[in-house]
Amino acid sequence: MIELIAQVIVAGILLGGVFALIASGLNIIFGVVRIINFAHGELVMLGMYATFFLHSIWGIDPYLSILAVAPALFLVGVIVQRLVIQPILDASAISKIFATVGLSLVLMNFALILFGGDFRSVRTSYSDSTIGIGPINVNIPRLIAFVVALVLFAGLYSLLRYTFIGKAFQAVAEDRSTAQLMGIRVERLYLLAFGLGAALAGVAGALLMPFATVYPTVGISYTLIAFVVVVLGGLGNMTGTLLGGLIIGLTDSFSATFLSPSLSTATYFVLFVVVLLVRPSGLFGKGKGTEEVGLR
Amino acid sequence: MKHRSSLLLALAALLVLAVVPVFVRGIFIQGIFISIFFYTGLTAAWNIPVFGGKLSLGQAGFFGLGAYTAAILYVDYGIVPWIGAFAAILVALLGALVLTPSLILLRGPFFTLASLAFAEVLRLVAIYWRGLTGGSTGISIPFEPGWQNLTFETNVPFYYISLMLAATSVGISYTIYRRAFGYHLRAAASDEEAAQALGINTSRSHVVAFLWSAGITGMLGAFYAFYLYTLEPNTFFSLALFSLQPALNGIIGGMGTVWGPVLGSAVMTPLAEFLRIYLGDVQEGLNFLIYGLVLILVVQTIPGGIVSVLSRLSRRLGFRSEEASAKRGNDK
Amino acid sequence: MRAVTRREFLRASGAGLASAALLGVVGCGGQQGGTGGGPIRIGALYPVSGVLALLGEESFRGADIARRQRNNNGGIAGSEIEYVRADVPEPNVARSEAERLVSQERLQLLIGTYSSTLALTASEVAARRGVNYFELGAISDEFTDRGYDTVYRTNPPAREFAASQVRFIEEWLASQLGKKPSEFRLAIAHEDSDYGTSVAQDIRNEADPVGLNIVSVEPYDAEASDLTPVVLRVKKSNPDTVIAVSYAQDAILLSRQAQQQDLGAPIFGTGGGHSLQTFIDTVGEAGDGVFNVDFTQYEVNKQFTPGLQEFVDSYKQAYDSDPKSGHSLANFFGANIVFDILEEAKGSLESDRVGKAVNAYTVKQGTTATGWGVDFDENGQNTSAQPFVMQWRDGNLVTVYPEEAAVMEPKLVGSSG
Repeated sequence: MIELIAQVIVAGILLGGVFALIASGLNIIFGVVRIINFAHGELVMLGMYATFFLHSIWGIDPYLSILAVAPALFLVGVIVQRLVIQPILDASAISKIFATVGLSLVLMNFALILFGGDFRSVRTSYSDSTIGIGPINVNIPRLIAFVVALVLFAGLYSLLRYTFIGKAFQAVAEDRSTAQLMGIRVERLYLLAFGLGAALAGVAGALLMPFATVYPTVGISYTLIAFVVVVLGGLGNMTGTLLGGLIIGLTDSFSATFLSPSLSTATYFVLFVVVLLVRPSGLFGKGKGTEEVGLR
Repeated sequence: MKHRSSLLLALAALLVLAVVPVFVRGIFIQGIFISIFFYTGLTAAWNIPVFGGKLSLGQAGFFGLGAYTAAILYVDYGIVPWIGAFAAILVALLGALVLTPSLILLRGPFFTLASLAFAEVLRLVAIYWRGLTGGSTGISIPFEPGWQNLTFETNVPFYYISLMLAATSVGISYTIYRRAFGYHLRAAASDEEAAQALGINTSRSHVVAFLWSAGITGMLGAFYAFYLYTLEPNTFFSLALFSLQPALNGIIGGMGTVWGPVLGSAVMTPLAEFLRIYLGDVQEGLNFLIYGLVLILVVQTIPGGIVSVLSRLSRRLGFRSEEASAKRGNDK
Repeated sequence: MRAVTRREFLRASGAGLASAALLGVVGCGGQQGGTGGGPIRIGALYPVSGVLALLGEESFRGADIARRQRNNNGGIAGSEIEYVRADVPEPNVARSEAERLVSQERLQLLIGTYSSTLALTASEVAARRGVNYFELGAISDEFTDRGYDTVYRTNPPAREFAASQVRFIEEWLASQLGKKPSEFRLAIAHEDSDYGTSVAQDIRNEADPVGLNIVSVEPYDAEASDLTPVVLRVKKSNPDTVIAVSYAQDAILLSRQAQQQDLGAPIFGTGGGHSLQTFIDTVGEAGDGVFNVDFTQYEVNKQFTPGLQEFVDSYKQAYDSDPKSGHSLANFFGANIVFDILEEAKGSLESDRVGKAVNAYTVKQGTTATGWGVDFDENGQNTSAQPFVMQWRDGNLVTVYPEEAAVMEPKLVGSSG
C-alpha cells in the first residue's frame, strides 16, 4: 500500500510539473495582457506539431528542437497579439475572450487542414525508459519535463523580480494607465508578453512530445487545465502557478487511483471552485487589485 | 415612444414567423428556424445576468440538467414532458444555487471560469453516473408521437413550441430590463460599489438574475431533449454548443441589450449551417476556420454588436436619437 | 429464404458514361433518386471535420471506392450511383443534415457514419420518415436493438467484438497461460465514451456464461495525460489478461505506461487505437504481441477475402497512401452490399422493395473483401459478420484467429504484451 501511495505521489508530481509547464505561458499572458486566452492550448499544439515535424523530417531530438520551436512560437505569439488582440484592447473582457475563441477555431482547423486528423507521436530511444527509485518507476521524459519546468519557473521568477522587463510586466498588470504615464510602452510590452507566453507554450509542447500524442484538437483539454492551474495558484504569481500545477497533478493522480480514473478531472475542477470560494484571488494571489481583471 | 414601437415591431415579427410554416414545408429549413429559436431563447437567458455584468459560461450545465431531468422522468417514470419541464426548471434552479456563492464572491473572469468548471463537472459526472444517465451511451426517447409526449412526426409543432419558448425568454429578459430590477443590475454593472452605496443589494440582484437565466435555460434543455430525441453527455453538456455559442451570439448581436441576443442568434445560427453545407466537403475544417475568422473580425470591427450598428444607422437616418441602450457600462 | 450467390459485377457494355460524381450538392429541389432514368442518389453522412475527422474520412473513402468501382461496372440496374455528401461532426448536425438530405435533396437512402452517436441520431431521422438507412461502421448494439423497419447495419456490432475476444480466450489464450476458463482473471480498461462503455458491458455479458472472472473494470478519459492510475488499479487486481478498449492516444499511453509499471499481463485491444499503424510505430517493442479484435485488417488470408487486394490497390491509386485502418474496407464491403441489394430491388429505393431485397439477400462468409457474410436478422443487423482476432507481430497487424482467416498462428510474446 505504501508503495502504491508513493507511486501515486510521484506520478502526481510529474503530472503536475507538466500542467505547470503548460500553464506558465498562460500566466504571463493572463497576468500581463489580462485576457483569457482560449487559444492557449492551440499554441501548445503548434509547439507539439513543430517538434514532431522537426523530428520526423530531420530527425531532430525533441529537446534540441526547443531551440527552434521557442523562437518560432514567440513569433506566432507576437503576431497574434498584434493582429488579434491589439485592435481590441479596449473592448470588453468578454469580447476579448471571444476573439481568442475565434483564434482557437482558426488554429485548430488550420492544423486539421495542413496536417490532417492523424495522431502523431514521437518515438525516441529514451521515450519509454524508466528509472527505478526503489520500487517506484519514474518515466524519464516526464522527469525531464518536470526538471525543465522547475528551471523555467526559477528563471521566470527571476525575470519578474529582478529585471526591468519583469517589473514593467508587473506594473502594466496592476495598472495599465499609470504604467503608461510612467513611460512604459505598453503595447510593446504586450507583444513581448504574448510572445513569451506563446514561446513557453511551445517549450511545453516540445517537452510533451516524447510521451504525448498530438492531433488537431488536443489543445482543448490543455487550455482548460492551464486556466485552472493559473487561477488556482493566483493570477500573476509564477510560484503560484507551479504550486497550483503540482496540486492539480496530485489531486488528479490520487482521485484517479483511489476514486476512479473517470472522475479525476471532475475532482480537480471541484477542488478548483472550492478553493476559489475560500480564497477568491487564488491560493497565492497577490490580493486586492489583481483579481480586478474584469469588466470595467 | 421607442419602447412601444419596438414592442410593436416584435409583435409584427412574431406574426410573420407564425405564418412561415405555411409556406416553408421543408423539414430542413424548418429545422433551421427551430435552431434559431432555441438559440434566441438560450442567448436571451444568458444575457440576463449580463445586464449586471456577470458573464457565465456555465449555461451548458443548466441546459443539460434540464434536458436529462425531463428525459429521465419520461423514459424511466413515464412522466409527461410538460410536467417534466417544470421539474427541469427546478433542477436547473438547484444547480444555479450551487453556483451562487461563486457568483457573489468571485469577480469577472474568475466567476466565468468557475461557471465553466461547473458545467464541465456536470458533464463528467453525467458520463460517470451510468445508472442514472446511461453514461456515454446516453438516453434515447422512444418514438411515440403525441402532444403529451412532445414527440411528433413533423417539425411543425416544434417550430411553434420553440418560437413560443424564444418569445418567453426574450419577453422575460425585456421585462427585467425595463423594471427597477433591471436598473439595479445595470447600475451594478456600471459601478458595483456606487450601486451598493445607493442601497441596492447587488448580490441579491445578481443571484435573482442568475436564477432566471438558469431556469429558462433548464426549460429550454427539457424541450430540446425531446426535439433531438437522443441524449448523451458530450452533446447536452457541450461547452461549445450551449455555453460558448449563446455567449457568442450575444456578443455579436450586442451584449447586454434586449434585442442583441435575437439579432445575434438570427445571424450566427444560419451562418454556421451554411458555412458547413457549402464548405464542408470542399475541405474539412474550412467552415470552422472561416467561422473563427468571422468571429475575430466582427469582434474587432463591431464590438458593440449588431445592435450598435443599427443604432448608429438609425441615428444617422434621422430617427430620434435614443440613448444607447447598448451596454456602454460593460465596456472596459 | 432462398440463397443467392453473390452476383458478379455487371460488365459495362457501352452504356453511356456519366460524368464524374458530383460532390456535395446543395440546393433547391433535388432530383428524385430512384428508378427510371437519372442517377441513383445516396446520401453519405460522415464526420470529416472535428474530433472524428480522421476515421470518418477513412470510412468515407471505402464507400467511395465501392461507388466508383460499381459505376465502372455499369452501376445499379444501368443507373449511375451518386453520393450526396454531408459532413456530420456532431449529433445535432447529424440530425440537421439527415433532415436536409431527406427533405431538400429528397433522398431515399442514406449511408454512414462511423460513430455510434451520430448513427443513432441520423437513423432516427430516417426511420421516422420511412427512409432507408444503412450503417456501415458504427458498432453500438443499441443501433439495431431499436428494431426500426428501414434501418440496417452491415458491420458487426460491439457484442460480436466481445464474443470474438471471449471465444479466443476460451479456445486458445487461457490454456496458453495455463489456466482453465473458470480460473481466468480478466481486467477491462476502457475509455469512457459510448464506444468503450458499450464494449465493456458486452464483454461482461459474454464472459459470464463462459465462467471468466472479471476482476476489475476501469473507465478512463481517452484524453487523459497520464494513465498510471489505470495501470496501477488494473495491476492491483492481478489479471491474466487486460482487455483494452481505447482510441489512438490512450492505446499508446496505456501500453507505454503498462510497460513502465511492469503490468505483467498481455493486453488485448478492441479495435480503435489498437488497430492503427501509429500504435505500433510509437510503442515499438512494448506493443509486440498485443492482441486485437477489429474489423478485417489487411494482413489476412486473402483466400478468405477475395477482392481485398484490389481494394487496397484502388485505395493507393486514389489516395496515394495505404489504407489507414480497416474502416475503409468495412465501408467498402457495406457499400457493395447496399448496391447488391439495390440491384436485387431492380434499382428501386422504395423502402418496401428494399426491405424485401434485404430479406432475400444472403452471402457466405469467405466470399467478400472482408471475409464477412451477409444475413440480416429481423432488426436489420447483419449476423454473419464477425470480427477476427489479430496480433501485432514485428510491426504488422496479422490475423491469427479464426483459422480460415488467419495468416499466422497466435503466439504469446514476452509477458507485458
